Amino acid sequence: MLEYLRKVWKVRHFWITLVRNDLRNRYRRSIIGVGWSLLHPIAMTAVLCAVFARLLGADLATYAPYLLAGLVTWNFIVAVLNQGCQCFFVAESYIRQHPAPLAIYPLRTVLGAGIHFLIGLAVVLVFTWCLRGFGNLPALLALLPAVLLLLVVGCSLAVCMGVVNVLFQDSQHLIEILLQILFYATPIIYPAEMLRQRGLATLVAINPLAALLDLVREPIVSGRLPSLGSVGMSAAAAALAAAAAVGILWRFERRLIFYL
Amino acid sequence: MTLIRLDDVSLVFNVRRRGRISLKEYLLNGVFWRRRAETLTIQALEHIDLEVAEGERVGIVGANGAGKSALLKLLAGIYPPTRGRRQVFGQISSLFDIALGFEMDATGWENIAYRGYLQGETPASVQDKMQPIAEFSELGKFLDMPVRYYSSGMMVRLAFSIATAINPDILLVDEVLAAGDAAFQDKAYQRMRGLISRARAVILVSHDAVSLRRLCDRVLWLDHGRIRAAGAADEVIRAYLRQSAEDAGKKAA
Repeated sequence: MLEYLRKVWKVRHFWITLVRNDLRNRYRRSIIGVGWSLLHPIAMTAVLCAVFARLLGADLATYAPYLLAGLVTWNFIVAVLNQGCQCFFVAESYIRQHPAPLAIYPLRTVLGAGIHFLIGLAVVLVFTWCLRGFGNLPALLALLPAVLLLLVVGCSLAVCMGVVNVLFQDSQHLIEILLQILFYATPIIYPAEMLRQRGLATLVAINPLAALLDLVREPIVSGRLPSLGSVGMSAAAAALAAAAAVGILWRFERRLIFYL
Repeated sequence: MTLIRLDDVSLVFNVRRRGRISLKEYLLNGVFWRRRAETLTIQALEHIDLEVAEGERVGIVGANGAGKSALLKLLAGIYPPTRGRRQVFGQISSLFDIALGFEMDATGWENIAYRGYLQGETPASVQDKMQPIAEFSELGKFLDMPVRYYSSGMMVRLAFSIATAINPDILLVDEVLAAGDAAFQDKAYQRMRGLISRARAVILVSHDAVSLRRLCDRVLWLDHGRIRAAGAADEVIRAYLRQSAEDAGKKAA
């Protein structure tokens, strides 16, 4: 395992270049550039605030940051899953010509999505600070381990989905549908309390994505450290995902080229 | 000292006859006990034994589809052998698709760096190589332009200059002996010769039998995935050319 990571580190200039190229190419002919990737959560937040703040009776000063932080994190997970599915196909010509540890291709995907996520997070922080300031600044330090955990989860998911999608092409479509369903089953648009009040507490409790989102939202919105339950759930989810990724790579990496 | 050893190596591809299988098909076939989408078994290589010692230059000839590229890719570590053992003692540098890794929207200079990183260079070593590569390619001011606007000849020149700016340990070459227009070809060929002489071992696939005779000591003749003949370059190439002429004659008749 360590040997494998060392091999990945050895070719770091290659995948760092791939990440840089991805970012550059995505916005090469664009004026706003990276701003486009922020427009989606900002626009969604604006619309949802206008519509739901009234319906849910939520206080805008808490709801808007809650929504924006949730959307930015959710978009990261969606990007990691969708692009992760494609990551080996996108890199097919490299895989066929140039032997390298296969994990670098999901890694490149997650780093690209991660950079967008961090930019989005920065926007959320600025936005929240302008709107209501931060009650408890030190609590924001909890964001660092949260981001790291999300990156680990992201990499693991990208590896798993990348391999599975090569073996079964339809996986990508299944994931898209699953994500649509999860979007409404996870407290993103509505606060978790709302689901709990209506007897859907179990749904929130077993949803690892809810826990991951809480890791990011709690410090920003309420200035508190995330609950032990959330942390435990997220860590367990990360460990499970990482184990799955290592297992899948170990089993399928050598022969993956025969399925491309 | 042996640098490469293949022990009774076979390579089998199982190709799905009707394209990629979807999850739906997989499940349905399982549920209704229907035959899975038929797979075509392609025996790319069979019972290949090969030993390459330090200082040797081995050529590979064969008809199209004989398995030459498959063998090279197996040696490079891209395909794992289905049976048998592959042992390589040294660092492999491969010249397969020289245009791989070109970023169309980046300038010539940037592409030299990108291709360098793909080949395993660090930012420091790439810096040292930029000027020599640029000079060899003779592209001059064009290097400041995005590669998208190059003619195909210019792209080939740049690709070749970058791909051959290496210090190979074990060199694997797939049909890249020379490239570019007539003026460049001569230079390119000399560059290849230099590369081949610097490497500790070379395996060269080419249809250009004349060059192979000049560049290699030993030649392998691959036919339908098996080694049909192996030995001194002259003999094997002569036998191969004779057979090819016969086959062409038979087809014409």
